[in-house]
Amino acid sequence: MTLEMFLVYFIKAFAVAMFAMNVGVILTWVERRMRGMIQDCVGPNRAGIPVPGPIAAMGALGPALGAAAAIGYLAFSGADEAPEEGWGMVAFQAAIFMLWFTTACIARVVGRRGPENSFDAFIQSLGTPRSIVGLGLVLHLVTLAVGLLVDTAEVRTVLFRAGVSLLVFSIVGGAAYVALSVGKERFVRIRLIGLLHPAADGLKTVFKGDFVPPNADKFLFNLAPFISFFPALVLLAIVPFGPALCFGSTETGGIDFGAFQGVEAAGGVCESARLSLQVADLNVGILYYFAIAGTGIVGAALAGWASDNKYSLLGGMRAASQMVSYEVTLGLTVIGALMVYGTVRVDEMVRWQAEHTWGLFAQPFAFFLFFAASVAESKRIPFDIPEGESEVVAGYFTEYSGMKFSMFFFSEFIAVVTGSTLMAAVFLGGWHLPFVTADGIRVAVGETVYFEAALAPGAVLAISALGFIGKVLTLALLQVTIRWTLPRFRYDQLMRLCWRKMLPASLVNVMATAIIMLAIDSASPATVRGLEVAGDWTMVFLAGAGMAAGVAAIVFLLLPRQKDRLVVSTAARYAEAMGGTRTAKMEA
Amino acid sequence: MTSQLTAPAEIVEGLGPNRVRGKVVKRPQRDVAVQSYIPEVIRGIGITLSHFFKNTKEMALDQRNDPVLESIDDGINTISYPEQRRPYAERFRGVHRLTTREDGSPRCVACLCCSTACPAQCIYIEPADYGDDPKRGGYEKYPKRFVIDELRCIFCGFCVEACPCDAIRMDTGMHPAPYDSRDQFIYEKDLLLSIPGRDGKHESANPRHEPGDPTFPGIDRERGH
Repeated sequence: MTLEMFLVYFIKAFAVAMFAMNVGVILTWVERRMRGMIQDCVGPNRAGIPVPGPIAAMGALGPALGAAAAIGYLAFSGADEAPEEGWGMVAFQAAIFMLWFTTACIARVVGRRGPENSFDAFIQSLGTPRSIVGLGLVLHLVTLAVGLLVDTAEVRTVLFRAGVSLLVFSIVGGAAYVALSVGKERFVRIRLIGLLHPAADGLKTVFKGDFVPPNADKFLFNLAPFISFFPALVLLAIVPFGPALCFGSTETGGIDFGAFQGVEAAGGVCESARLSLQVADLNVGILYYFAIAGTGIVGAALAGWASDNKYSLLGGMRAASQMVSYEVTLGLTVIGALMVYGTVRVDEMVRWQAEHTWGLFAQPFAFFLFFAASVAESKRIPFDIPEGESEVVAGYFTEYSGMKFSMFFFSEFIAVVTGSTLMAAVFLGGWHLPFVTADGIRVAVGETVYFEAALAPGAVLAISALGFIGKVLTLALLQVTIRWTLPRFRYDQLMRLCWRKMLPASLVNVMATAIIMLAIDSASPATVRGLEVAGDWTMVFLAGAGMAAGVAAIVFLLLPRQKDRLVVSTAARYAEAMGGTRTAKMEA
Repeated sequence: MTSQLTAPAEIVEGLGPNRVRGKVVKRPQRDVAVQSYIPEVIRGIGITLSHFFKNTKEMALDQRNDPVLESIDDGINTISYPEQRRPYAERFRGVHRLTTREDGSPRCVACLCCSTACPAQCIYIEPADYGDDPKRGGYEKYPKRFVIDELRCIFCGFCVEACPCDAIRMDTGMHPAPYDSRDQFIYEKDLLLSIPGRDGKHESANPRHEPGDPTFPGIDRERGH
């Protein structure tokens, strides 16, 4: 292996690990927000990290200047060449977005603390943040329409230059405003709606006391968190995060990173060298998942055994029995998908889905069973029997503290992330988005092509990878939501659900899949053709659903606060009775 | 969709060999949708998600009402700890403190009443003699060590009840901070003495009458038997 390839593998593994950790942090945040919301307790996790003002100002200004310089360089390094088609409008729209977004943010801050200088007064005279957002959206539509009507090379060049200048101006201007208002403060609390809280917690646990029970098996006790954490993380190795990239090859057959040729088409193969966007290109594919996921059981069982605590032991036993049971269902549901895709390699599964239809439609039943079994496999509510605090304290990690406890806690979240990535790859089309092909966007049903637009390979790659991350986040969010919706199952209910309901159901799924596949094999060409068109229609459905979700999200964000329901929470009533909340002095 | 009691309670003529009269409560209607668990789960997820998005949006955009100023809120209200705190009740039992006399010495006379009353056995006192101290020697002891394990403590307040001298109090309004290690929860005498009450004072409100004072109600060396 050359040094270059070693670096590539290292970067891939590092990026995937970072992805898992970051999604884990986001999930922790979501979980705490839901907990605060539902239990009406500590709430929004608005913990901030105090940072000296000048440093915060530099933190705001530095990245902005860097980004502005990068954008300026990328845009204007091509000297007098006319920009490629489409880029003028992209730059202009991005500039408009940055402009209204920055202005709205400043307007909100000004509106809250009152204008301090003439610039603030000017911003305030523009209107409320809401009206600025509305103005921005109207501006988007108007410029889009005008751009489509008047589309000449000169206009494109002007649009591009104006767009890039405006973009750079609004980025630097916004950052400068933040830097000026923040720089004179002694300390600024950086909050980011509480997102830093889980990260700070993770850091904190490193420094917490590390207690080992006197009679514990010291070696196994210390080993168990690692055995639990490691499999959860390395499972991500087989998941493709984007379509494979094609490069030219060197004389020795290696990858020539200077010669980027584009994204590999779903149905095709790269001409020369190929760089897949997954850490390990294993030929055993999804079998690796089951092999490694089985190891996670050992971690929980060992932790329970080594702790010298009856509750831990019970928790460890419960964890082992539950995970072994649900692994059977997990494996059997994937069998159906394997039969449809005809491969065990996850990247080929994604390519099959890109060519035909998502696994969600080919194997709807299996998707549902897999989802339930995957939640059970990550030992989360409603399947969190191993750590049911009303029965076995905290289960197998009762005796753990500090970073080791944190590793168990985090391995649970990473198991959620891994389960979601696998579900996204096997059932939700992986990096494939409806109508996005290797060359661009191509809306086609059957033989009829309705719309076709070329996209740069970089754009296709970015859209695909972001789509995949979005799917993973959605699935993970769903799992966290289930945790705050359902109560815990009893142990017998859990086992009955697995062995008497889900296992037979997955067996039926395998048989039904086999029969249907045989039927399709011997069906007439017209039927097969009809199925392919039906597959295209599922893509139309997905694209429509995605657009509807986007519109709904925008409408939701713009909705004013509802004022027709009167709900006085217990906290409010109690606090009112006590004479109101008080603003506390911040002290360590 | 939702299960509900179908019939109002009714009195019937009496059931069984003993003619038991009573209300007939019908079982909740369970249709397939409810029994199969899935539609209800999806509905529940929808409710949780809608609350989550709405609540988070309002928090991020600062649209949440102040829980007290308006006390009428759409959605669920949260107090933004630690910027806002719920007010503690006047008799809230917080971290212990040892009260002092006017000269700053502990009021405690090391009688061990509190450690005897403590159900969690988290108080350890090492009594010592005042020795030749002209004022207090021969009358009372003092705690050479006074240790409370705040991790063992269950905050029942029995120690405060038991104390005959008003020497230990839980009126600090503080809850134990989350420390990094277990030994930081072991509060020694000096720390306990340094914590003020809610009024910011180290003394107790009850005056103490010491032997030798004109207000001392009991018998002392000067007054004799």
